[in-house]
Amino acid sequence: MEVLLGITGKDFTLIAASKAAMRGATILKVSDDKTRQLNKHTLMAFSGEAGDTVQFAEYIQANAQLYSMRNETDLSPSALANFVRGELASSLRSRKPYNVNLLLGGVDPITHKPSLYWLDYLASLAPVPYAAHGYAQYYCLSLLDKHHQPDISLERGMELLRLCADELKRRLPIDFKGLIVKVVTKDGIEVKPFDEDAVVRGT
Amino acid sequence: MSSPFSINGGACVAMVGKDCVAIACDLRLGLQALTVSNNFPKVFQYGDNVFLGLTGLATDVSTVSDLFRYKVNMYRLREERHIAPRTFANLVSSSLYERRFGPYFVSPVVAGLDPTTGAPFICGFDSIGCIDFAKDFIVSGTATEQLFGMCESLWEPDLGPDALFETISQSLLNAVDRDALSGWGAHVYIIEKDKVTKRLLKGRQD
Amino acid sequence: MADRYSFSLTTFSPSGKLVQIEYALNAVNQGVTALGIKATNGIVLATEKKSSSPLADPSSLAKISLITPNIGMVYSGMGPDYRVLVDRARKVSHTGYKRIYNEYPPTRILVQDVARVMQEATQSGGVRPYGVSLLVAGWDEGVLPEEELEKAKLAKQAAAGAGVGAGQGEEEGEGSKLSDKTGGILKGGPMLYQVDPSGSYFPWKATAIGKSATTAKTFLEKRYTEGLELEDAVHIALLTLKETIEGEMNGETIEIGIVGAPADHLLGVEGVEGAVGPRFRKLTPQEIEDYLTNL
Repeated sequence: MEVLLGITGKDFTLIAASKAAMRGATILKVSDDKTRQLNKHTLMAFSGEAGDTVQFAEYIQANAQLYSMRNETDLSPSALANFVRGELASSLRSRKPYNVNLLLGGVDPITHKPSLYWLDYLASLAPVPYAAHGYAQYYCLSLLDKHHQPDISLERGMELLRLCADELKRRLPIDFKGLIVKVVTKDGIEVKPFDEDAVVRGT
Repeated sequence: MSSPFSINGGACVAMVGKDCVAIACDLRLGLQALTVSNNFPKVFQYGDNVFLGLTGLATDVSTVSDLFRYKVNMYRLREERHIAPRTFANLVSSSLYERRFGPYFVSPVVAGLDPTTGAPFICGFDSIGCIDFAKDFIVSGTATEQLFGMCESLWEPDLGPDALFETISQSLLNAVDRDALSGWGAHVYIIEKDKVTKRLLKGRQD
Repeated sequence: MADRYSFSLTTFSPSGKLVQIEYALNAVNQGVTALGIKATNGIVLATEKKSSSPLADPSSLAKISLITPNIGMVYSGMGPDYRVLVDRARKVSHTGYKRIYNEYPPTRILVQDVARVMQEATQSGGVRPYGVSLLVAGWDEGVLPEEELEKAKLAKQAAAGAGVGAGQGEEEGEGSKLSDKTGGILKGGPMLYQVDPSGSYFPWKATAIGKSATTAKTFLEKRYTEGLELEDAVHIALLTLKETIEGEMNGETIEIGIVGAPADHLLGVEGVEGAVGPRFRKLTPQEIEDYLTNL
C-alpha cells in the first residue's frame, strides 16, 4: 500500500510519497521519507521490497553525487534516468534482482524543462507527464488523465495532488499516513507543506 | 497473461512495397490492463535505411535497442560504412542466439532497402534469433493475430509509397483496436531510395 | 613464476627504437621473395617455392594460403610463424565476422585483425614478434571503382539540375537522410595489403617483400601501369620473379595465387541458385607452366 505520485507542470516537477513505513500489516513509522535527492535538480522516489529500496536508492544517490564531484557538473534528469535503468536492467538478470519501483523527477539544469520518468523493477523506463506506482496508479492516473495539463502552475499542481491524496484516503483500505511532498524547480528541491489532518469523507 | 511477451503489450508490422518498405508500431506501454504511457515507440533507426521494430517486454525493448545502437555504431566506425539491412538482420539473429538459454523477451522485425540494389528487405525473428524471411509482410506483438488478418486482406504486391502508407496504417490501426494491450497512437515509417518519411498517427486514445 | 607474470621482450632502446622488431624485419629480409600485383579485375600473389633437397616432395609444400573464399595470403620470413597467422586469420574471420554477420570480412577488416595479432606480440609479456611480413589479397563486394566514377558524374549532373526535394510528413516529416559523415560507401574491388611484424599495414598497387624486395620493387615500378588486366599482372609477376629467382623456374618451383572472377567450378556443386564460387584460387603447376611457356 505504498503510494508514489509524480506530476510535472510548466516549470516544476512534484513528487509525493506516502509516509507510512509498513511491515506486513504493521505500521512501523509514520514519517518515512521514500525519496532521495540525487543532485540539485533531481529527486527520486522509491517503493518495493523493504531492504532493496533504500539500498538501491542510496547506491544511485552515491553514484550521482560521485559524478557531480568528479566532473563539477550535474547529470541531467534524463541522463540519470537512463543510468538508473541500466543499473536496474543489469540487476534484473542477476542472481538476486532489486525489487524497486521508482519515480525520477527533475528539472533540466540548462533548459529548465521539467521531466518525470517512470521506472518499474523490470527496468521499464518511460518519460511521462504524470505518474504513480502501486495501487495509487489505479485511482490517480484516471484523475490526472482528466485534470492534468502540461503547462499548469505549481498551485494547480498542488491542487491536483490534493485531489489524488483525497481519493486515495477515500478508497485505500489501509491508512498510508499522508504524503510527503517535494517540488523540484530550477532553484532546487524543497519540501512542500501538505495538510495531513484534513478529514476526507467517504462517498 | 503473465507471459513476459504480453505484460507491457505492443504491436509492430513491416511491409514490402514497390521500391519501398514500411515499418510501423503502436505507442502504448502498459502493465497488464493498465496503461502507463502512450509515448513508447518500438521502431528504431540504425542508419540511412535500416529499421528495427521491437515488441515484447518493455525493459528488453530498451535494452535490445540500446545494444544494437552500440553494435551498429561500432560497426560503422570499424568498417567506415553503414550496415546493410541483411547484414543487420544476421547481427540481430546471432546476438539473440547468444542468449539462447536466457533470452531477451522480444520479437524483432527488420525493414530496410539494400544499399547497393535498392531491393526491399524485411524479416522477423523469434526471441532466440530464428529468422523469418518474408516477401510480403511481417507482424509481431500482442496484436499478431489481428495484424495477420488485416495484412492478409489489405496487402497486395507492388504498392507505391503512398498506397503502402495507407495499407500499413489501416492494418495497424484496425488491428490494435481489437487488441486491449496495444494502440494509443502509432509511428509509421515509409522508406524509399533516398527519402524516409515518418508519420505520427493519433489513433484512438482509449 | 612464469605463469604469474612476465615482461615484454620488446622494449625501447635509448634511441627510441624497438630492436626486437628490427630483428624480426631482418628475418623477413632473409626470406624468399614474395610479391603481389593489383590489376583492375583481380590480384596476383606469387613466390618461389624453394626445397632444400631434391628428395623433398614439392607438391606437399604450400606458401600461399586461402583465408576466406575471396581472400588469400602469402608471406616472407619464417614459415612456422606464418602458419600460426594463417590459422588465426581463418579463425578470426569466422568467430569475429562470419558467425556474427553471416558473411566474410572485407579485406581491410581481416588485415586489421591479423595486424592486431602481430601488434599484440610486440607488447605482450614473454613472446617475441612474428618473423614474417604478409601480403594479403582480397576482393570486396561493394561499389567498384568504375561505378563510383559513374555515380559521381551523375551526382554532378543532378546538382546542376538543381531542385531540392523536401520531405513531407503529415504531423512530423523527416525528409532528409542521416548524415554520411561516418558512413561513406564501401569501396569494392581488388585490395592488396602488406602487414609487417610491427603490426603496421599498407595498401599497395604492387609490391614485394623478402630477400630481393628492393630489386623486385624497382622492377615493378618500371613495369606497372594503371589499368592493368589480371592476365598482364600474372605475366609481370613471373617476369619480376625471374629477375630475382635463384633456382629453375617451372610449375613445381613457382607458386601463384590469384583473386579474379568467381571460380564456380570450385564450388563442387552445380545448379545451386545464388551460389558463387571463390574468387581466390591457386594456379595449378600446369597453369603456371602454360604462363611460363608464353613468357
